Amino acid sequence: MGDQINLKVLLESQTLERCPFPIPTGWYFVDYADTLKAGEMRNVTLFGQEWVLFRTESGKPGMSDPYCPHLGAHMGHGGKVCGEHIRCPFHHWEYDTAGWCKNIPYAKVTPPIVKKQAILRTLPMVEKYGMMWAWYHPLCEAPSFELPYIPEIEDATGYTGSRRGSWTADTCIQEIAENGVDVAHLKFLHGAPGIPPVSASYDGPVMKLDIGQGYIVGTAYGPGLNVMRFNQHGITATMISYTQPISAEQSRMNMSFRHVDYAEGTPELHASKKVIDHMIGAAEGEESAGFESVDFIVWNNKKYRPNPLLCDGDGPVLQFRKWFKQFYPAADAATLAKI
Amino acid sequence: MTAVRVKGRDGTEQTVDATDGMALMESLRDAGLGVEGTCGGAMSCGTCHVYVAAAWADRLPARSQDEADMIEALADFVELRPTSRLSCQIPVDAGVEGLSVEIAPQV
Repeated sequence: MGDQINLKVLLESQTLERCPFPIPTGWYFVDYADTLKAGEMRNVTLFGQEWVLFRTESGKPGMSDPYCPHLGAHMGHGGKVCGEHIRCPFHHWEYDTAGWCKNIPYAKVTPPIVKKQAILRTLPMVEKYGMMWAWYHPLCEAPSFELPYIPEIEDATGYTGSRRGSWTADTCIQEIAENGVDVAHLKFLHGAPGIPPVSASYDGPVMKLDIGQGYIVGTAYGPGLNVMRFNQHGITATMISYTQPISAEQSRMNMSFRHVDYAEGTPELHASKKVIDHMIGAAEGEESAGFESVDFIVWNNKKYRPNPLLCDGDGPVLQFRKWFKQFYPAADAATLAKI
Repeated sequence: MTAVRVKGRDGTEQTVDATDGMALMESLRDAGLGVEGTCGGAMSCGTCHVYVAAAWADRLPARSQDEADMIEALADFVELRPTSRLSCQIPVDAGVEGLSVEIAPQV
């Protein structure tokens, strides 16, 4: 007599969701710094809503909720940058990059709340790596960690590489990141020669991964930045990955590839370029596939199993998930049960 | 309805039948006495400022910090008195029968 069939396990997929997660807290890439000139503004969709991205006349970037706290006009349609402020087209109320209302041109008496606190939701921003970054927190709390120094992209000399790419995936950011610890899929989905060993360590918002005993050494700084160094053929090439949550179910993966500025014609330069080709999946004669050709078909169609059936040989998926939970500080019990 | 004595900006006095369960501001506004109540009770406009008769000052609910801040913001434009109140913060019920207020000048 066999055991009873566990109907719960067999039928669970009907109730599974593809992306049961809120937008995770963290620093996220908004756009490259040189795409927004002083005085310019435009609407961007990130974190499940629209925002007005603008740069003040002095060069400071700002990112605000589109809807004016006064009577709800969309400031990204007809509004403009005025000096250090964004100005609503409807009644010319003005706000600074921190969301404080700085001018109501016709009120004799300023409402007291205007002097006490910001009234427009804006996101904390920094410019680093030649990019604009915004801090997202569902409860508008201040940043709890800083973006790291990355020599490959911040050192004025010594490194080079202009290759970068952008891909949109129909899934959430946690599902994409989980592949980093799922080393078994490297053999079967990507066709790597074997399942590399992996070790992971977790320290607050930082996760360090070592895949293949030093072959790939990666550090994640929250959900929005991952620096992976590939050590092969005697050189190190670096992939800086900065994925954006467009919505709860769509993410844009962005990557910059950098390497040491070796002289033209040297074997080190050749090796560096070859490793980068391999990362993207464009190398000729490769025995394994880069992410572009194989990961999307899984991401775009899978469902998330909160209680996966894991086996000997799988990577530290559950530890990763436990670490990632810190980025959902506002999740209620019902949501936590699904993730 | 609760009868409230009101001294208007022109100095004339009258009795206003204020609606129970609503803020005094609403009845003053609807009586055409120049009270605007623009912000609807959010304490951000200061257009329902009144002076409460001294005898009544302690019989009304105390000012909140937000109300005190809004009244303070009016200081550059109109006279403030110790009994200055925002009438949107005075709830009307039988307990204020006979309340006497003076409508403060327009900002």
